[in-house]
Amino acid sequence: MKFVDEFRDAELGRAVAAEILAAVEPGRHYKLMEVCGGHTHSIYKYGIDDLLPANVELVHGPGCPVCVIPMGRVDDGIALAHEPGVIFTCFGDMLRVPGSAGTLLDAKAAGADVRMVYSPLDALRIAKANPGRQVVFFAIGFETTAPSTALTLKRAKAEGVTNFSCMCNHVTIVPPLRALLDSPDLRLDGFVGPGHVSTVVGARPFEFIPAEYGKPIVVAGFEPLDVLQAVHMLLRQLSEGRCEVENQYSRVVPYEGNLRALEVMAEVFALRPHFEWRGLGFISQSGLRLSDAYADFDAELRYGVPGVRVADPKACQCGEVLKGVIKPWECKVFGTACRPERPIGTCMVSSEGACAAYYNYGRFARERELV
Amino acid sequence: MSACDQPVPGEHHGRSWQTAHAGCITCSDEALPLRVAVVDAERGLALCEHADGTRASVEIALVEPVAVGDVLLVHAGTAIAHAAQSGARA
Repeated sequence: MKFVDEFRDAELGRAVAAEILAAVEPGRHYKLMEVCGGHTHSIYKYGIDDLLPANVELVHGPGCPVCVIPMGRVDDGIALAHEPGVIFTCFGDMLRVPGSAGTLLDAKAAGADVRMVYSPLDALRIAKANPGRQVVFFAIGFETTAPSTALTLKRAKAEGVTNFSCMCNHVTIVPPLRALLDSPDLRLDGFVGPGHVSTVVGARPFEFIPAEYGKPIVVAGFEPLDVLQAVHMLLRQLSEGRCEVENQYSRVVPYEGNLRALEVMAEVFALRPHFEWRGLGFISQSGLRLSDAYADFDAELRYGVPGVRVADPKACQCGEVLKGVIKPWECKVFGTACRPERPIGTCMVSSEGACAAYYNYGRFARERELV
Repeated sequence: MSACDQPVPGEHHGRSWQTAHAGCITCSDEALPLRVAVVDAERGLALCEHADGTRASVEIALVEPVAVGDVLLVHAGTAIAHAAQSGARA
């Protein structure tokens, strides 16, 4: 598919890498955070950090909606899956996230009707095909995904589908960024901004980062050249003393966002006063619930959920990984007690979690270094 | 039943390009380029095609108007943008 080939050209990649080398000050250490799990995945898959000079460090942020779901919410989902007559639907990676007593996959093995879907529309179709059953959709994702859930709920309402409900775990991008910037643990020089979240919300919501915190942010696409170009743009801002929002992914991202997406989200969702993020604690106004107009479709109202807060296992250092305080391999249980086939924490579950991405792509490079 | 009504997926039905990605839809923030084959403007859906020929029904409310042959970026079953015009060939 020709849409991506131009952005994977190795020669161009090396050319941008050379420009990056020319843009850094020797002796200065740069810490740039990429927020989005897709960028983490690209960085490891294409070996982008190997192309960067040693004094440019990429720090992985909490842009993984699966990784930030606390164990208590997983337990709530499992409780819904065990409700009599319920068909529980969710995206694939949610199936393997550990709750306090097992995963949704374990619940399925124990007899719950848990089904993987690729879109909320698939879940609605299951509801229409099974009028005698109740279908619950476990909604996750940032603003890239929230419009999809919103449109499906609008469709369900318009078509009078009553055996469909949603347990909403959508989160928003700005509050965790603010929480990271306010955190004393982190000293960051700039951000690689999330490419597809921005397609919905635009680049404008990130203006607070230069304005209030004095850090540059460049919204980036996901191909290796996109990421390299965004890093270059950040380093140029830093060397030229500029501090602003730039849009490297302008071929797709409109600065003002997608108005229709924002409108449908405003209709279907409301902000929760606060929401718990794994590793980051409670963050104000960072999570979405269904609006009062869509209360009939709210699974948490229809069924009630335990709502018990569960602390992470003691060995788990996902919180520090999600904040970029430690690298995956610095976690005490990385690769030993915590591996993709038996994960302790969510960073290892999601293929775009920093730990899983590193485990799958990065550790061979690391082993070479150690030898 | 319009062409945009796909069979109800039980497990993985004819979604080779999605399973091949083997990643997390939301965490990767992926948006796959799919070409529009059929438009059902009244219902706000389009039947779209991946390079390997597999088809999926896609919400197009966020990117209308849509024409046959357009390449859309699709995330979790919803088109979130038109792929850039330059060099966009599915």
